[in-house]
Amino acid sequence: MFKKADNNALWAIGLSLVLFFIGGIITTVVPPLVDTSWSKPFENRDAAKGPTGKLVPLNDLQKKGRAIYVREGCWYCHTQQIRTLLADTKRYGWRGVDAPISTPDEFVYDDPHMFGTKRTGPDLARVGGKYDTQWHRTHFRNPRDLVKGSIMPAYPWIVANPEEFSAMVAYLQTLGRSKDWRPANDYEK
Amino acid sequence: MQPQFSKAEAANAPEGAIIHDDATAKWFLISSVAYFFIVGIIAVIIAAKFVWPDLMGTMSWLTYGRLRPLHVNGMLFGWLLAADMGLAYYVIPRLCGVKLWSEKLGLATAALWNVIILGAVVTLLAGLNQGWEYAELPWYLDILVVVAWIMFGINIFMTVANRKYQAMYVTIWYTMGCILWTAFVYLTGNFATLFATGTNQANLNWMYVHNAVGLIFTPIGLAIAYYFIPRASNTPLHSHKLSMVGFWSLAFVYVWTGAHHMLHGPISQWLQTIAIAFSLMLLIPVWAVVYNLFATMKGQWHQLRESVPLKFLMSGVVFYLLTCFQGPMHSLRTVNAIVSKTDWIPGHAHMAVLGCFSFFAIAGTYYAVPRIWNKALHSDSLANWSYWMLMIGGLGFFTTLWLGGFWQGWQWNNVSIPFIDTVIALKPIWIVRFVSGLMMFTGIVLFAYNILATALGNPEEAAV
Repeated sequence: MFKKADNNALWAIGLSLVLFFIGGIITTVVPPLVDTSWSKPFENRDAAKGPTGKLVPLNDLQKKGRAIYVREGCWYCHTQQIRTLLADTKRYGWRGVDAPISTPDEFVYDDPHMFGTKRTGPDLARVGGKYDTQWHRTHFRNPRDLVKGSIMPAYPWIVANPEEFSAMVAYLQTLGRSKDWRPANDYEK
Repeated sequence: MQPQFSKAEAANAPEGAIIHDDATAKWFLISSVAYFFIVGIIAVIIAAKFVWPDLMGTMSWLTYGRLRPLHVNGMLFGWLLAADMGLAYYVIPRLCGVKLWSEKLGLATAALWNVIILGAVVTLLAGLNQGWEYAELPWYLDILVVVAWIMFGINIFMTVANRKYQAMYVTIWYTMGCILWTAFVYLTGNFATLFATGTNQANLNWMYVHNAVGLIFTPIGLAIAYYFIPRASNTPLHSHKLSMVGFWSLAFVYVWTGAHHMLHGPISQWLQTIAIAFSLMLLIPVWAVVYNLFATMKGQWHQLRESVPLKFLMSGVVFYLLTCFQGPMHSLRTVNAIVSKTDWIPGHAHMAVLGCFSFFAIAGTYYAVPRIWNKALHSDSLANWSYWMLMIGGLGFFTTLWLGGFWQGWQWNNVSIPFIDTVIALKPIWIVRFVSGLMMFTGIVLFAYNILATALGNPEEAAV
């Protein structure tokens, strides 16, 4: 079979595509069919089953903020996923409460997805509600004014544009909020 | 085998010899070398931004978030893929014993490719970013990439179809494999993702990201290594059978592994396990190839002293072995829990794309350019310097990022250390990375200058 491909170009083409498509189909087409949680928005009313809450699509202002997040490449340095590791649930918790693990059903409306691959800065999957608008204003103007040693770029042109700034903050405050994971009045909006 | 010459050598060619025009190869090689240099500047700037975060930070289009995609796309598509394509236009007609099917189509492809790269510079700096890694370019440029790729594919396949020698050398399989797989991998990463969201989209995205390296740059890079190592050392390939093992196992194994980019993340456990298992199986194609290429050089290693292309080629093979050992190892869950998302990852990625595949492309360019233009290389000593600068700079870059990344991962796993302290701790690592980056950039400048001076300079004595 493989020997024939030595002299026969069509045979080589066919064989290399067949081998490629076996893995290609099983790992891309099949998973979303098998795992329905990939496309079913998160909703849980039963506290016994873990954090309650409901995933809702972003409103227009939040969508605008998300577009800025994509445009400025925030996702090159910030991931949005609490992995199944203590190091993640503890580190990205808040005031003694561990952050819940991220599940596919929390990201159903994400387009483009912003999971990220690199943490030059901290993970942002559960950052929503942790810091208020004034904190973000100072931080975007120059991160080093608030966090000494930070290497995040300053974004004065976002702060200077009230429309963009409010959109940006509105988006950040939604992150990780579909799961109600903290004591009720613990959000600092 | 019949003697084959470039058009430049036509005057000295015996009757009946095939005269290659090589116009397409020339344009691809020259433009890719120019982009290597230009994007190298961007690379140094973003390395500097890790040490001096306020550097050039007052203009939106010069921030890290805009320059990084330009660096990645510019190096992958402006330099490496274009250089690989240029070398394929040089190699495939010679292996087939015929002229390239259409130089006109080839020149049109080269022109279109340059339009795409220039379009990429403008759109990425403007922040027109689709938000997917390696697939940042807006959809209208993606369509042009597909058109250019089809033009490239037709030209290569028609040349192969018209070939004079029936048996196809391994380089031809790898090039054909690259063209076919790339078509589907690229469509998945740039178009199928448009119809998916969330985890489903991420899975398609990482299938593309992983296979951009595994089924685009690996096969065409190996095609080049398989051609130029025997050519530059004047030694036959060790084993045809082993090269078949490498090729067919690559075809089957690589595509399964995309989900290892999301280990421990919000994606199905069974898919993660499949990705890990197949990542380990990657050792089969890799070791088959590496053994074959090492065995080819058996008794010939002394040639490395004299030949810059061989130095680059064999260092590239060593880096290939190392990269593809790291890959399977850090897809193990325990190792991944430490190194994932850290600076280890850019260390690993640079060893694959720069240390291995760019070294192959540089070697091919050093070998082919003097022959295409029928001139001696402008300077052998500069070529040697370019090798050592890239090699030492590269090693400094890779090793510090691995050590730094491991250290960073350990710190993250100790939740009593505040995040910002893990950033501050890495500053010395980033200083070394910047200095090594400067050395690598010097190597790139010497390489680019040498190639351009050879191509554009006055004709001297003929290349041997």
